[in-house]
Amino acid sequence: MKKLMHRFSIRSLCLEKLVTFRIQFDGVDLVMYQYASAKSDKRNRVFTWGLAEHGALGERQFLKPIHKARRPVEYMHRPYRLGFAEENDITDIAAGYGFTVFIAKGKKTSSQVFGTGLNTDSQIGYHAVRKDHPLELIAEPVPIHLPNIKSSITGIACGRAHTLILTEKDGVLTLGNNAYGQCGRHIIEDEDYQRQSTVHQIVIDDKISQVYCGQDHSMFVTDRGSVWSCGWSADGQTGVGHYNNTDRITKCVGDIVGENIIKLACSADCVLALNDKGQVFGWGNSEYGQLRLATSEMQLHTPRHLRLPRTFGKIVDVAASGTACLILNDAGEVFVWGYGILGKGPVVDRSQEPTAIPLTLFGCNEFNQDVKVVSIYGGLSQFAAVTNNGDLYIWGRNRSGSLGLGHLNNQFFPIKVNISGYVKKFCFGVDHCVALCKSYV
Amino acid sequence: MENILNLTLAIIKPDVVKVPFTLQEIRKKILTAGFYIVESRAVNLSCQQVENFYSEHTGRFFHKRLVTFMKSGPIHAHILAHPEAVQLWRKIMGPTKSFVTQYEAPDTIRGSFGLTDTRNCTHGSDSQMSAMREIQFFFPQFNYEEWLEKQEPMFRKGLCSIDYSTFTHNIK
Repeated sequence: MKKLMHRFSIRSLCLEKLVTFRIQFDGVDLVMYQYASAKSDKRNRVFTWGLAEHGALGERQFLKPIHKARRPVEYMHRPYRLGFAEENDITDIAAGYGFTVFIAKGKKTSSQVFGTGLNTDSQIGYHAVRKDHPLELIAEPVPIHLPNIKSSITGIACGRAHTLILTEKDGVLTLGNNAYGQCGRHIIEDEDYQRQSTVHQIVIDDKISQVYCGQDHSMFVTDRGSVWSCGWSADGQTGVGHYNNTDRITKCVGDIVGENIIKLACSADCVLALNDKGQVFGWGNSEYGQLRLATSEMQLHTPRHLRLPRTFGKIVDVAASGTACLILNDAGEVFVWGYGILGKGPVVDRSQEPTAIPLTLFGCNEFNQDVKVVSIYGGLSQFAAVTNNGDLYIWGRNRSGSLGLGHLNNQFFPIKVNISGYVKKFCFGVDHCVALCKSYV
Repeated sequence: MENILNLTLAIIKPDVVKVPFTLQEIRKKILTAGFYIVESRAVNLSCQQVENFYSEHTGRFFHKRLVTFMKSGPIHAHILAHPEAVQLWRKIMGPTKSFVTQYEAPDTIRGSFGLTDTRNCTHGSDSQMSAMREIQFFFPQFNYEEWLEKQEPMFRKGLCSIDYSTFTHNIK
């Protein structure tokens, strides 16, 4: 009886907020209740999944359970709604090898950067509980101290062990490993990155509007569409015309000079770029034929235009895994080529030419004819696509359950991930994933 | 003299040394495979040293990539002992190319923890000859004849225990 009373009170509470409509159906008056108004605030939610051991999922209890009897969680193979994101308004996310970085916007304060996970290269800042004993693993998101930054933070990107933070007026801030010059500062032999509190500032004459990371290199796009880079270039992934490490931000050469580049994609060492006309450019590693449209060599140090068939139309998004490339055209169709789990069948495949992945696999069928893919993402050996319904489809190698499908088997074709929210942005780490979503109501 | 212990050199590459969880998993794999760890050492190589070490790959397209990668951070060198040391270590490491190995041999070290074809976790000697050369490179003080005479019988009888702090087997 008490329970019933309790239920009643909640019900009546809800009713107070109800909006009622009356509609006519077959001449009968019907009442329609709308439980949440269209004006109600849709909140940002963050989901993380994959290997928990690094602390990159941002949930302290996975590593240090409150109940003594419980064992730590080794991996989370389905999306986990992050409590941290309920308390803070997260506006952007990025993931690296074993760590995750968030931009949180306070109600009164300006935006702040938080990091969680592996910190053996100070990639999420210097955090020491005792003096001179920096933590090598951080179990839940902590604020990253950025000295003397007055302007707001507009973007972030993570490599294998470094982080780029883009600010409105103060250029780009870099933290973490600089063994190849990926932080854009002078390479110091045998530098101890674990005890590093250096935050380097990169400023160029033009305004940087986007930042991207490969595993060990960094790339910058200015608001005029020119591309700059620094870091490891042994495969030519910096696109500056040689294979030497570049420890100072340098302008890329080749076919992208003079083009208005609007997007870059890179997860390992192969880079794709997209200009405002819908043309695709590529450079870096091509061991699995990723850049075969431009070269038959294994490596390419100068960006080249990839000549795609005319029938593909205007390309609106690009994604690159370590061994394959994925492109999206303005009709919402996706094309894939390279090596690995390409998403077209039950085998590890190799495809020289770009071929389409059937849209049926993304939920486009007789009942939902207007479904199309709106954005695509690439991990080391995984791909993901988000449709106009806000659904996330994923396929590839299921390292430590990082596909979030509830099992540990590889996924050979796109399949929907069970997330309760419209996916706004998605990030592949090496063995975990992060998704930024808008709640349904 | 059956089951006499042979030696091989194992290197844990910079991508793993900085990731405690993966490092631990690889160490577990080494121990469960039945290796004895004779000597261990953490070292930062200079560019010249790596060039010398990988002199056999000079001229290959990935040579520069390998050299810059190996000098990008600290690495761990281990002398592993087992009757089939060279073959067994190469077997649990898996083939070089991680991107292919992750599908073809997912249970090997490179198959489960390798990031890319270069960032592939570990190195192993490819023959008994090169094992001796590589051991001399990392452990110049190590005397194989002396070890074979004095310590090898003790290891073979299992009269040793693992010290996790240095990750070496000490004779009791």
